[in-house]
Amino acid sequence: MTGSRARMAVIQFPGMNCEEETRRAVVAAGASCDVFRWNGPVEELRSYDGFVLPGGFSYQDRVRAGAIAAKDHIISCLCEEAESGKPVLGICNGAQILLETGLVPGVTPGRVEMGLATNVMPDRDGYHTRWTHLRVETDATCATAAIPRGSIVPIPVAHAEGRFVTTEEGLMERLSRAGQVVMTYTSYDGGDASGFPANPNGSSADIAAISNPRGNVVAMMPHPERSAWLFQVPESLGGEWGAKRREARGHDDMRGPGPGAAVLDSLVRSCMARAR
Amino acid sequence: MTVSPARCDIPRIEILDASDEAIERELAASGLTLTVDEARKVSEILGRDPTVVEANIFNTMWSEHCSYKSSRAVLSKYLPTEASNVVLGPGEDAGIVRLCEVDGAVYCVAVAHESHNHPSQVVPNEGAATGIGGIVRDVYCMGADVIGVLDPLRFGDPTGPNAERTREIVHGVVEGIWQYGNALGVPNLGGDVYFDRSYDENCLVNVVAVGLVREDEIVRSRVPTEAAAEPYDVILIGKPTDPSGFGGATFASRILDEAKALDDKYAVQVPDPFLKRMLTVATAEVMATARARGLAIGFKDLGAGGIACATSELGAAAGLGVRIDLSSVVVAEEGMLPEVIACSETQERYCLVVPRRFTEEVLRVYNETFELPELCHGAMARVIGEVIPEARFVLEHEGSTVCDASTEAITTGISYDRDARERARGGGRVEVPQSIDLAAAVLEVVGSANVASREHVYRHYDGEVKGCAVVRPGEADAGVLAPIPDSADGVAVSVDGNPFLGGVDPYTAGAAAVAEAVRNVAAVGAVPIAITDCLNFGSPEVPEVFHDFVEAVRGIGDAARGIGMKDSDEPVPIISGNVSFYNQSSGGSAILPSPVVCCVGHLPDFTRHLTAGLKRPGNVLYVVGERHGELGASEFARSVLGETGTDPAPVRFDEERAMCAAVTDLAGECLIESCHDISDGGLVAAVVEMIALAAPDATTGAAMDLAWEGRAVPLAEAARTLFCENGGYILEVDPVNVEAVRTALEARGAWFRRLGVTTAGPSLVIGGAEGGDTEILVSDLERAWTHGATEVMT
Repeated sequence: MTGSRARMAVIQFPGMNCEEETRRAVVAAGASCDVFRWNGPVEELRSYDGFVLPGGFSYQDRVRAGAIAAKDHIISCLCEEAESGKPVLGICNGAQILLETGLVPGVTPGRVEMGLATNVMPDRDGYHTRWTHLRVETDATCATAAIPRGSIVPIPVAHAEGRFVTTEEGLMERLSRAGQVVMTYTSYDGGDASGFPANPNGSSADIAAISNPRGNVVAMMPHPERSAWLFQVPESLGGEWGAKRREARGHDDMRGPGPGAAVLDSLVRSCMARAR
Repeated sequence: MTVSPARCDIPRIEILDASDEAIERELAASGLTLTVDEARKVSEILGRDPTVVEANIFNTMWSEHCSYKSSRAVLSKYLPTEASNVVLGPGEDAGIVRLCEVDGAVYCVAVAHESHNHPSQVVPNEGAATGIGGIVRDVYCMGADVIGVLDPLRFGDPTGPNAERTREIVHGVVEGIWQYGNALGVPNLGGDVYFDRSYDENCLVNVVAVGLVREDEIVRSRVPTEAAAEPYDVILIGKPTDPSGFGGATFASRILDEAKALDDKYAVQVPDPFLKRMLTVATAEVMATARARGLAIGFKDLGAGGIACATSELGAAAGLGVRIDLSSVVVAEEGMLPEVIACSETQERYCLVVPRRFTEEVLRVYNETFELPELCHGAMARVIGEVIPEARFVLEHEGSTVCDASTEAITTGISYDRDARERARGGGRVEVPQSIDLAAAVLEVVGSANVASREHVYRHYDGEVKGCAVVRPGEADAGVLAPIPDSADGVAVSVDGNPFLGGVDPYTAGAAAVAEAVRNVAAVGAVPIAITDCLNFGSPEVPEVFHDFVEAVRGIGDAARGIGMKDSDEPVPIISGNVSFYNQSSGGSAILPSPVVCCVGHLPDFTRHLTAGLKRPGNVLYVVGERHGELGASEFARSVLGETGTDPAPVRFDEERAMCAAVTDLAGECLIESCHDISDGGLVAAVVEMIALAAPDATTGAAMDLAWEGRAVPLAEAARTLFCENGGYILEVDPVNVEAVRTALEARGAWFRRLGVTTAGPSLVIGGAEGGDTEILVSDLERAWTHGATEVMT
């Protein structure tokens, strides 16, 4: 911590491409934030209060999305920091990396228990971009500490591999019971997703974000930094936030916080709480 | 008289003492596409026979793709390229125009616009991907950050004789665009898609890249003048040079023969967005360091003609020379011939010219800090040559001088005066049957593959990376960005060009492409500040095709001047562009004349932007822009009546100018709720799209009354009003603002009528036509519009 502000790092692996806007969104949430290169000095990394693994295509997504970055030497340091309780948020490709490291869901530490598989969508394949509505299932994680349970938070997705899957028997039920399912896809009015497009990728149990058992490491597919300002929200979005966006025409409110800001606020708040 | 290369054992192309037949044989044997006359001109310029390397350089530089030899005179005759906001017009890799001033810094927009048609027809995925890869380099190399790309696409008939191949091409092209653009991390801001049989054997993949750069941080594609006073190195950055794309520029400059397409695969380059991303972040660091130290540098992308074109042009622009050692170029395979190293078009490469005292640091940033050699299969930055004081272009290879000519000679242009002859066109005015079934016609038009929703395509594209998207593809007529953090300034971009107009009247097609692009930018509330063009035609050697080309260019120029910049007597300047000839089938039939225009606009306050979706029931709808009723080339004529006609709506510049001014005034004062331009499918298609784009919980229908002159109109006249495609806008207005809106429209002299109201009802009602109201369920309209194009693409 420097004074009253959390110090955060956005980790840049080769091929990531969301580091700058993610850094801006973290700063807007009240932290100081640096982009930290994959080959930077590991000891320096330990001085940060919390970490974000941003979106993109780390190492060209060779082998599998996130698979190479998960073996990077910087990751072992990150794992130690996570084990010490520091908040770590993985967004999209960052989420894929966290699953590949076994940090999330982390029921058996170090074991890869879940994967993010290719989207399953009717009559389509490949990459898919869309605004989704997320129901916050728990406020006991670093990504949701400042969001009341049951809130509907619109945040967009953009990925080709975002379907949470596992072959471990009983894991899904266990995660659900343990409160590790952090966010689920829903319809704009809070009803069940009922398949595509509200659930944009066929994810099991409509899961959009998962945490480790302690809740300080969260892997989420949607991009909160693309929903951090109200102007980023589409005018044609259904629900409360779409209405807010339409009403903001011509007002400075449009340049104020959007729904995804709550995720980054939660993250920064979690860093502050722990550092204090 | 120039000096001959030192050694006489360097292979040459014999021209001076050879007969025409012998020259022709030798050119063919060497894989050169120069004509005999051109070859003679080469030896005349050099004062001797060219070396094989030199001949290859001229071969590329004098290709239509690089030299604009058929088009240059026409472009400079008709197109206005100057205005007070232009920083850099056509000539370098991208045009640059001033956008706004924020805290004392002037921000500019850099725009590049190109085609990648032939490669995309042969290998759709790689062809389209390298199209994106190439166009972003044109913008990055001006020192700008790419903030968006757009992709106008033209495909063959998806239900015609070539349907299977067309669908493969659609799939491959869309995949190539998303795979490259999304991985590089540049948002997709829009584009358009048309289908027509004339593109069966020659699809069009045009690409636009838009960048943001501070005026004081623009980097030029030239050796800095400081290089006359201190040593400067030439550094090649990026992928190891391989034979891919050798002959790419000449490949783009001849007719595509599908039967020989496999042979052309090597002319298509291999895309690597991962490496491009690495180059982008590393280059940003180099640029920032150079700026901080006040070092003058030159930067250029390697595109057509590879190392030879890039380095000779860097030198020529400064009146200095360059010496390159081709043996120091990192190559992907052993034994590459010097002409291949010099001219191959391997992707993901740049050339940087820096003071020698800065060289070591530049190499360290690329090769160590960002680990290019380890991460990207031998990619790296390496010194390949130096700037020399004499204005000569020297290439050495394994100790021999393989090219030694004045830079002026190498970069000397060539031009042709092509014959133009107007083509004979049959047909006539489109007549509407009195018994027309309006409901069926509306469903047919909005469900047509050329009008229906493009969601199937744009859902693949990342429109939000970089976090500055305000309006994404599919939400309004143009994409809108807020690219400057903490500033209210916004940028709007749209790209347009209706090819069916090209088929009946190329002048109107050119003018209409400008008018529509301008309208689309105005429809989101932005004031147009610049345009670019990409002109896609058949062979310029065919007089009818060349006439089409000249007419389209004339139309673009007239529209740019006639519509003009808002509240100014200046034209909307054309700051960049590209000409793509030889788009035709091997059987000789040219594509529809396809001028494509991109317009960039400025929003002083992006929170005042507009989108197309209706906002709530109970608002008033206005139509702006008189409905003149011409139906030639319209979607209605082609889809419903099965004819094209020869009476397209002309572009009425004064009307377009007045409407553009009025709509942007209204947006700036927050007096309208939504806005959509009238184009393909006419007024009724615009209204249907506004209904379909509303938020799911703002359910709205609409009721229109066509009896705005106080009497019910005959059915045929109603059809003309609903389906004619001359320029206009539909506005949704809150009842409390009706008087203010009418006053503002009148003040600008824009024609308008009250069209109807938005309703909470489940249908679109068309009233005011003889024979009673026509009512169509919104659910039916949405189904037709949502699925019309998807069905033919999947």
